[in-house]
Amino acid sequence: MSAHFPGLVIIIPLVAAFLILIGALLDKRLAFPLTALALLGSLVTAIGLLARVMQVGVVEYHLAGWAPPVGIAYRVDHLNGLVLVAVAAVAFINLLGTRPLVVEAFGDRLGPFYTLYILLVAGLLGIVVTGDAFNLYVLLEIAALTGYALVGMGEGRAPLASLNYIFMGTVGASFYLLGVGYLYLVTGTLNMADLAVRLPALYPSKVVFSAFVICLAGLCLKMGFFPLHAWLPNAYSYAPDPVSSLVAPLMTKVMVYVMVRIMLFVFTPAFAFDLTAISEPMVWMAIVAIVAGSFLALSTRRLKRMLTYIVVAEVGYMVGGFWLGNRLGISGAILHIINDAVMTLCVFLAAAALIARTGSDAIDDMQGLFKKMPVTMAVFVIAGLSIIGVPPTCGFFSKWYLISGAIAAGQYGFMAALLLSSLINLVLFFRIFEIAYFEPFEDHHAEHPTGHGRVLSAVQEAPLELLVPLVVTAALLFALGIYAGDIVSLIIDKAIPLGIV
Amino acid sequence: MKTFALITVLLLGGLLFYGTPDFPDWGDPASPASLHVSPYYIEHAVEDTAVPNIVTAVLADYRGYDTMFETAVIFSAGIACLFLLRVYRRKSARTRLYRHNLTGVTLRIAKGGKLPEGSAEFERIDSVWVPYDMIIKVTSRLIVPFVQLFALYVIAHGHHSPGGGFQGGVIFGAAIILYALSNDLRRAFRRLSEKAALLASAAGVLIYVGTGLLCLLLGGNFLDYSMLAEMLHTDAIMARSHGILIVEIGVGLAVMAVMVSLYYNLSSAGRHDEGL
Repeated sequence: MSAHFPGLVIIIPLVAAFLILIGALLDKRLAFPLTALALLGSLVTAIGLLARVMQVGVVEYHLAGWAPPVGIAYRVDHLNGLVLVAVAAVAFINLLGTRPLVVEAFGDRLGPFYTLYILLVAGLLGIVVTGDAFNLYVLLEIAALTGYALVGMGEGRAPLASLNYIFMGTVGASFYLLGVGYLYLVTGTLNMADLAVRLPALYPSKVVFSAFVICLAGLCLKMGFFPLHAWLPNAYSYAPDPVSSLVAPLMTKVMVYVMVRIMLFVFTPAFAFDLTAISEPMVWMAIVAIVAGSFLALSTRRLKRMLTYIVVAEVGYMVGGFWLGNRLGISGAILHIINDAVMTLCVFLAAAALIARTGSDAIDDMQGLFKKMPVTMAVFVIAGLSIIGVPPTCGFFSKWYLISGAIAAGQYGFMAALLLSSLINLVLFFRIFEIAYFEPFEDHHAEHPTGHGRVLSAVQEAPLELLVPLVVTAALLFALGIYAGDIVSLIIDKAIPLGIV
Repeated sequence: MKTFALITVLLLGGLLFYGTPDFPDWGDPASPASLHVSPYYIEHAVEDTAVPNIVTAVLADYRGYDTMFETAVIFSAGIACLFLLRVYRRKSARTRLYRHNLTGVTLRIAKGGKLPEGSAEFERIDSVWVPYDMIIKVTSRLIVPFVQLFALYVIAHGHHSPGGGFQGGVIFGAAIILYALSNDLRRAFRRLSEKAALLASAAGVLIYVGTGLLCLLLGGNFLDYSMLAEMLHTDAIMARSHGILIVEIGVGLAVMAVMVSLYYNLSSAGRHDEGL
């Protein structure tokens, strides 16, 4: 059975999607356990797959039994084996934690909600596991379409934010598709490994260069890389809480993974880093992204919005680290894909718990929360420290690799941007800690006796169902930090082509 | 902002022009796209799959996995629409309009009034004015069965001519939508209820995925239809042809049901009461 793992990791959630809908027509309560079971299956398969890759190396799976390039092939190496586990784990933890919130917000449409949820996860997993450039686009469509629907169900301006997201996301995906079309035009194949073999002879071709630029632009749009990030803050902050804690950690990170995959394994480093003069400008744009994202985060007094701007800055970390073009930088970028997925999950889950209990996402409304919700706030502090980059949390280690990479490449601007962003994150989080720890609870409520319609005494610790995943995520932040060296030497090091030093 | 957008568009246009000189010529038989994978499909499709329509062979077998996800995309669109639009808390007692068929008198029955449900003399009509439409009703009643028959033909004939599950499913869905348009939403529900449409859309994609899973359980790779040979009492090559037909039927069912479900939700703004 383990030979089928690359297929099963997607097929399990896909089959479950239809069973969930049918099951929910019979009894709504069936939706959640079915989803949890399927995602657990997916997670176990992903872990099994990573273990197999670490034992025997690259695992290939020929769908419908046709060998590539005639058919579609899944190709799992160290890089996507690792990302697969991260995606499956984040989706599973978020699913368990947000159940009470989902029941409250979408109690009358649990079936469609969980169907869309699991299709989104299946799409993301598929994007990661596939070895076919067009298959990637189809799965991108699934992930995007379900994402738009889930984001659009938020309150207030969510439908508008989602519409904006649809426009920008569609442009991004079409650019990617156009790029793949150009590549097919000159190579006649869609398989990534086959493309990598056939492209070097065509490097001087203008079509290949156009394809490269168009693909990269599309991916930058999809991942919310700074000047193209405009859709992201609204979409992620107006989305319902259980949804933003799924899409914010995964969507952008998976798109960064796609960039790494396409650049390293389709265009190959020789073309991406040496033949095109694009590395240097990309690193500078990443510097702008980091600085701009950090300052935009400073400018808002809303918790979720602040976190979305941090996501924008973090995308800058990964893109910049990757385009440094050396082993340290790329290791840092890949490690940060994993770490940032878990960190973002942790802060967004904690924010969801806080917003659910206090009814407000204004930072100024967080007074006295350390007393009322000690565990949630403790987890929030750990996640904040990780985003700032304090050892032994995982955020420190990926930042360490990124900074070492920047020094090795002589990109001191990038190093300075990383340090500046750490400082700003420090301000951002300690501003919240200060309000939540030192400012007393009562004052605020005396001023606005009916202001937000929340009763302060009723604010209590988040439900156990949400606390356990929160604590597990916080523990993961430490675990990823402590084992960062092993992750890099055993997995990430083998994921990067040997030619890169 | 407008100038900025214009500059971006011009840059992109420039990039597209930049690439064109190195394009292969139109219809060039020596272009890379017609030398690498395509010849394999053209030379082997019939002997591999016993399907004379090469496009169908590529779509539903060689790259059948993509098509499975395309069907899942359509399914997602249907569910997304349901998720966003469906209103479950219905105000039950609203004013309703009934037409007395013999005299043409329209009755407005207020909240809580006695409704002439089940009476043959009265017909419920939508609250926007609905004219008599005997010609439309009779014409569409004559057309609908033929449209459906043609849809089945298109689904079943995908092996030999242009067609297949997507096209056939759309035509079948259009027939049901035509019925709903020429009569009203409530009559359409009596023929194909919301739940039935949802069930069919999930079942349709499940036929596709389930066929793939069955191949996997029988020892092959996912979607390797040749594994079905023993079950279908044919050889491995004919099994591929039959496998394609099975998944095309699944696609047709899913597309039909999603079309209808989209119409139900969009036309009534999710209330499933009155619409168009």
